[in-house]
Amino acid sequence: MQRQDREQANSGKVLHCDCFLAGHWATANEAYGPLDETRLTFLDARQIPDGTELAPDLAIVGGGPAGITLALALANAPMKMLLLESGGMDFDAATQALYAGQESGVSYIPLDATRLRYLGGGTNHWGGWSRPLDEIDFEKRDWLPFSGWPFSRQELEPYLLRAQGLIEAGPFLYDKLAARELPGALLPLGEGGVHTSFFQFSQWRGNTEHLPTAFGHRYAEDLKRIPNLQLILHANVTALRPAQDVRWIDHLDVATLSGRRFTVKPRHIVLACGGIENARLLLASNDLVAAGIGNQNDLVGRFFADHAIPRDTATLVTFGGEIAGFYKATKDAQGAHFRATLSPTENFRRQRQLLGALITVENRVTLDAVGQAAVTTTAQALGADAGDAHAYSLGVGLELAPDPERRLTLSTARDALGMPRLNIKMTISDADFARYREVLFELGRQLLQAKSGMLRIDRHTRDEWLQAMDWGNHHLGTTRMHDDPKQGVVDTNAQVHGLANLFVAGSSIFPTYSASNPTLNLVALTLRLADHLKGIFR
Amino acid sequence: MGAGGLFAVAAGYEGWRLLGKRYPPTPYDDLLYQLPDREAARELGRAFLSQHSSFTLPYAASALRKRIGSNPLAAVLASEIAAGDLVETGHWLLPETLAGLCALAAKI
Repeated sequence: MQRQDREQANSGKVLHCDCFLAGHWATANEAYGPLDETRLTFLDARQIPDGTELAPDLAIVGGGPAGITLALALANAPMKMLLLESGGMDFDAATQALYAGQESGVSYIPLDATRLRYLGGGTNHWGGWSRPLDEIDFEKRDWLPFSGWPFSRQELEPYLLRAQGLIEAGPFLYDKLAARELPGALLPLGEGGVHTSFFQFSQWRGNTEHLPTAFGHRYAEDLKRIPNLQLILHANVTALRPAQDVRWIDHLDVATLSGRRFTVKPRHIVLACGGIENARLLLASNDLVAAGIGNQNDLVGRFFADHAIPRDTATLVTFGGEIAGFYKATKDAQGAHFRATLSPTENFRRQRQLLGALITVENRVTLDAVGQAAVTTTAQALGADAGDAHAYSLGVGLELAPDPERRLTLSTARDALGMPRLNIKMTISDADFARYREVLFELGRQLLQAKSGMLRIDRHTRDEWLQAMDWGNHHLGTTRMHDDPKQGVVDTNAQVHGLANLFVAGSSIFPTYSASNPTLNLVALTLRLADHLKGIFR
Repeated sequence: MGAGGLFAVAAGYEGWRLLGKRYPPTPYDDLLYQLPDREAARELGRAFLSQHSSFTLPYAASALRKRIGSNPLAAVLASEIAAGDLVETGHWLLPETLAGLCALAAKI
């Protein structure tokens, strides 16, 4: 935590995130009440005596963006919360090693490299990229099996606005930036299915290095001051133990790497350990039900997804000079730290049955002889002046179609706490690439139509796509949401089907994935869950 | 193509012949004159031919003449772009007629 932030926190003038959203800043005293000096620390599970039983009203399992958001949102609610975080305040190799697993199928990031296991979770290494889900992302589409959320984007809107404040990404503008004054011109495109849209970026308030908000360090002091919250570090939940009828979770087994073991017996539980670990914990809690908790229809762990990020997918040429800087890098305008992207419009996606794609302009490239010939010949034929042509490589973040065979299963290998490790089978279909190719084709057409440029498609075969493949470290879909228990693990309130006191928070509940980075959206979903839980505890 | 169209093509051809780089005459000059930089077009055309082995000269030239008719090339291309009639040429997305003209230049 930066010294400036620490001093601010110690002075009692901690900035309360929710009040920021209302347009003013509240001090911690105003937000949380008078300071209790004895509570200004997190507990360390390694100091809790063996056999201890803790009995909060609500146990939050996991201290990543979802768990921390939930704790902040439920501050001062009429109940006692316990947040159990596996790691400490910073990276620890032994704790991180608990994440290791086995990957198969299409090459994917090792399971202990794609996540971070300490307070703040994935926000300790994210790039701050933010975009809300589009309306189409919530729609049931007849041409897309397994699509459809149980509510519309409209219902999530108020929570997106609050989430925007928590991730510190500035005013909620996004595609409205196109109509505002920007430091440069939009790329001219003919009328069609691709347009300029916008990312905004999280910027940790007060951080002198302009890093994205790392939730653990950013909100540590807020969390310490919440009177109805106790946060325990180094606490690994190793199993959910159901009651005999398996309709209720009776207690949680908790263990530390130092060998301590104790139990937590909450009235309600929210799993918030991330899109991979949520599924792992449900599957591994299989003493009474062999398939694991909430897995009566064999859905837990299935439909895993990440955003495919193939590099150098195409070359974009602008005839009339450099593309505006905000396509290539982040810029500031209208109070937002933003970057433009090229993406298919929602109408185009509906018409052509396409999934999301967010195209980024990456590096300046030099054209070979054929490329130079292409630019010369095409510009002349169109009557355009390409005397100052520039060429750029294009990257993309791709939404994958839901695939039940892209999944997590338990391994026979065990980690240092005795929990089964995970196998991940990664898949990506040729159809996923074909859909993106159609977007590139349309972009190329619109550039020609506007006489502003042209496009070369640089990946064609499956091998070429896979050679260029990177992934977003976005873990989605493994406890998907659907009101029908035969199609989802959790219902519209993120409650696990068949369990009266178990909920799931985070990106594991996404039934489809969008191309948008998940953090803003999972924080919004968690705020929605918090409102639902407030109703339960009222 | 009517007499007026032939006149326009001939005038354009003659105009190019007077102002541009000179190339040896071919039976397809009525098409090729529309490519001011024939070397660049040839480079691109070779890329097209490497991916489209079915491009045969008399047939392709006839098809191009039919497609262009008496219209300005820019108008023909605009129409193809609007309709999405594009083809990859060396992986570059080009209107079909332009790709065909480049292939013709490379074939000569």
